[in-house]
Amino acid sequence: MRYALRYLWCLGVFGLGLGTLYWFLSYEVVGAVALWFFGFMPLIVATWWTLRGTDEALSASDDPEARPQDRSGHAVGSFPLVTSWPVFLAMGVIVIGASLVYGLILLPAGAALFVWAIIGLARETPD
Amino acid sequence: MSRARVAAIALLAATASSCSSSFGMPSGASEQGQDIFNLWQVFFWAAIVVAAVVYGLLGWSLLRYRRRRAEPDALGRQFREHIPLEIVYTAIPVVIVIGLFAASISTGDTVGDVTPNPDVVLHAEAFSWGWRFSFPNEGVIVLSDPSGEGVPGPVVKLPVGETVRVELTSNDVIHAFWVPEFLFKRDAIPGRTNIFDVTPTTPGTYHGVCSEYCGLNHAYMTFTVEVVPAQEFRSWLTQQPSESTA
Amino acid sequence: MAHAATVGVHGVTAVAEAPIVAEPRRRRPVSWLTTTDHKKIGIAYCVTAFCFFLIGGTLADLMRAELAEPGRQLLTPQTYNGLFTIHGIVMIFLFVAPFGVGFANYLIPLQIGAPDMAFPRLNALSYWFYLGGGTLVLLAGFAAAGGGAKTGWYIYSPLSNLRYSPGVGPDLLILGLALTALATLLSGLNIVTTVFLLRAPGMTMWRLPIFTWNMVITAVLGLVAFPPALAAFVLLLFDRRLGGFAFDPLGGGDPIIYQHLFWFLGHPEVYILILPFFGVITEIIPVFSRKPLFGYTGFVLATLAIGALSVGVWAHHMFTTGVVDNPFFTAMTLTIAVPTGVKFFNWIGSMWGGRIWLAVPMLFSIGFMLNFLIGGVTGVMLASAPIDFSVSDSYFLVSHFHYTMMGGAVFGIFAGIYFWWPKITGYLLSERLGRVVFVFLFVGFNLTFWPQFVVGLRGMPRRIVDYDTNLGWNTPNLVSTIGAGLLTIGVLTFLVDVWTSHRRRTLAGDDPWGGYSLEWATTSPPPERNFASLPRIRSERPAFDLHHPDLQPVAAAEPKANR
Repeated sequence: MRYALRYLWCLGVFGLGLGTLYWFLSYEVVGAVALWFFGFMPLIVATWWTLRGTDEALSASDDPEARPQDRSGHAVGSFPLVTSWPVFLAMGVIVIGASLVYGLILLPAGAALFVWAIIGLARETPD
Repeated sequence: MSRARVAAIALLAATASSCSSSFGMPSGASEQGQDIFNLWQVFFWAAIVVAAVVYGLLGWSLLRYRRRRAEPDALGRQFREHIPLEIVYTAIPVVIVIGLFAASISTGDTVGDVTPNPDVVLHAEAFSWGWRFSFPNEGVIVLSDPSGEGVPGPVVKLPVGETVRVELTSNDVIHAFWVPEFLFKRDAIPGRTNIFDVTPTTPGTYHGVCSEYCGLNHAYMTFTVEVVPAQEFRSWLTQQPSESTA
Repeated sequence: MAHAATVGVHGVTAVAEAPIVAEPRRRRPVSWLTTTDHKKIGIAYCVTAFCFFLIGGTLADLMRAELAEPGRQLLTPQTYNGLFTIHGIVMIFLFVAPFGVGFANYLIPLQIGAPDMAFPRLNALSYWFYLGGGTLVLLAGFAAAGGGAKTGWYIYSPLSNLRYSPGVGPDLLILGLALTALATLLSGLNIVTTVFLLRAPGMTMWRLPIFTWNMVITAVLGLVAFPPALAAFVLLLFDRRLGGFAFDPLGGGDPIIYQHLFWFLGHPEVYILILPFFGVITEIIPVFSRKPLFGYTGFVLATLAIGALSVGVWAHHMFTTGVVDNPFFTAMTLTIAVPTGVKFFNWIGSMWGGRIWLAVPMLFSIGFMLNFLIGGVTGVMLASAPIDFSVSDSYFLVSHFHYTMMGGAVFGIFAGIYFWWPKITGYLLSERLGRVVFVFLFVGFNLTFWPQFVVGLRGMPRRIVDYDTNLGWNTPNLVSTIGAGLLTIGVLTFLVDVWTSHRRRTLAGDDPWGGYSLEWATTSPPPERNFASLPRIRSERPAFDLHHPDLQPVAAAEPKANR
């Protein structure tokens, strides 16, 4: 977990730094904004994570001496082996997109499929 | 002569010719083009050296370190790193790259230099799919018919040894003005005027193309540049239609 | 209908101690529609991507057939312009990138010792977005009212504005691209989360197989680079369909902004295309040299550097516009050549002092190195803005990127296919036929693209249906087309190999090659939750350590306990 945080900070600082260097060398606004955004996005997560505090205990994944039976961590949820909601969700998004080209008459159908599939996905995970 | 000697002589000849060769690039019919050609040779030699080292090491490994039929499961020497070597083989490319950068910047400066007092100003306007060349200071225009298959593009003459400032723009989509023998191209962008200098040094007839895909007849949007002595250029100008009547 | 469609079979929890239950294999075709198993999804990605490869390759063969001789023989300019547009999109976004994602989906959980990806349903969703987006692209090319999309794969404005590209082709193309981009982006999310959170005990970040490391960096690049391009595509649709002038100079817009946004994705995209296959051959070369990877730490640092720097080089695609800061981008592009180049020394170092076994995966890896070097040094040439003025947008450029993308990535794809086929299917592909495939692909590839360097230097621009006969371009073009024919034979031979090997079914066993990473420590094919039991992980070669208990495992980069 600690690695993730470190990489996010590095990416954020690099992006902001490169963007600032680029801005003062070129005064070209699109690239500078894109680079600043590139730096800003990981910083959102990194800042939140740092403020919230990461788990100090070394997880088995990061412990070089861990044995296979030392799996640590708690169950975060279960996932289904078989489900058809992703197909329907994708179909909904594709129909919505296609409606922009083939005619807005398709939009209600796509939106309905999308909403139905989202609800199905959300309700699927038991506990 | 034995076949081996023939082969050796052929190889030597090929190497010798390529030492002074252009490696396939035109040598540049303009001052700016010649600067770029010199830069190209620097890069090409650097590439040859790098390729020789890498291919050499690779070839050597493949020859020397093959597994033996008698011991199909034998392991190689299990070393994982060699920090000094790693530092050296990272540092050398850094040095090479710094050198290439310095060479590029110096050439970029001379090629991109636009003199405040050009001898000739050429206004090049690209459109789909042809070229409208005009010499605003002389009030002359050279217009191509809209290009298509089999339709030749316009012929524009330029004077040897004089600096031509090209002002390049487009009427519609993005095109590009490329004369391969000048080793130079620049995009023709609607809403913008790109300005660059060409100082032709070698008389001749040079093919020009549009090098930014612009739709249906992009392939046929060609033109010809003829570099001629200044006298001939000026008399040619007087024979062209004037801008006001075209 | 809702309940019948969702079979509520629930698997084991993501991070917990739980017995591995052997599930009956679902063989019904509909199981491919409802699966969330990363292995099935990975196979689906790879098979679909290969089909797109065949389509893109056919388009290329048609183009080469036209260009073999000056004068128009076979195709109209309209058709030709559509062909290269769709060829580019198909090869980049529907073949190479998804193939990398397919390998990643199949291999990452296996390589890190996890039962599946972190978000299995999102994984399935990504695949369906990919398939849907790909279908829209094919429709855009071949079944669009008003003619197929003919904007070039960059879809530059103003050419892609409604005025110059009427019809729904470009709209479908943009939509299909956006969907495929979304698929890759979501896969990237999945990959990063999986690798950060689901590693087996002892599998520290610095013991990850290089393929997994490269996929993590690829995934981060995807997350960073796709949003600006998606913004550009939305604005393009705005300009086309909703009366916008974002990029149209007639309304105060600027076409250069589109180029900035597009290439901000476009350049990281090519690293997204190649990094997985750097990873693939870095898995293969040490295994077939019987040695550990040379310079693991340096390799990972170099790949991190490539990932980071690749975000800052985009405008080297715009040198000829005359409106970008050429020195900055020349500097950045030349800089990125260094970490890319030192990888060659990692690979050669891995072969040095080894016992090299020239099995088919190794042949393709060596072919990768030979080809990619040429792609790389020509890339260094193109990095220099003044040189770019002479060779950009010519066949020199076309050849450069084919040397890296095809000579590199596609050879990496074939290397990976031959390497992991036994693991995925349980049986071996033919060594003999594999060698034939390699020879045809290697010779064919170089015969196709080396002449394109020559003809590019002689002034042949790209994206032209035809050329004049007196320019010295005839012979190289003819040779190039012959090479394309050899490439086609090679690909067809590969299909024959797949077919005959499937019939013959020579069982491979768990570990036919002596592999290093965890996937070689389980059965071929792996069981439904990947591992009946996990071995102890003490180095970046856990399967090797398992199969060589006499040797003391030595980790390449030992992390400190308090990191």
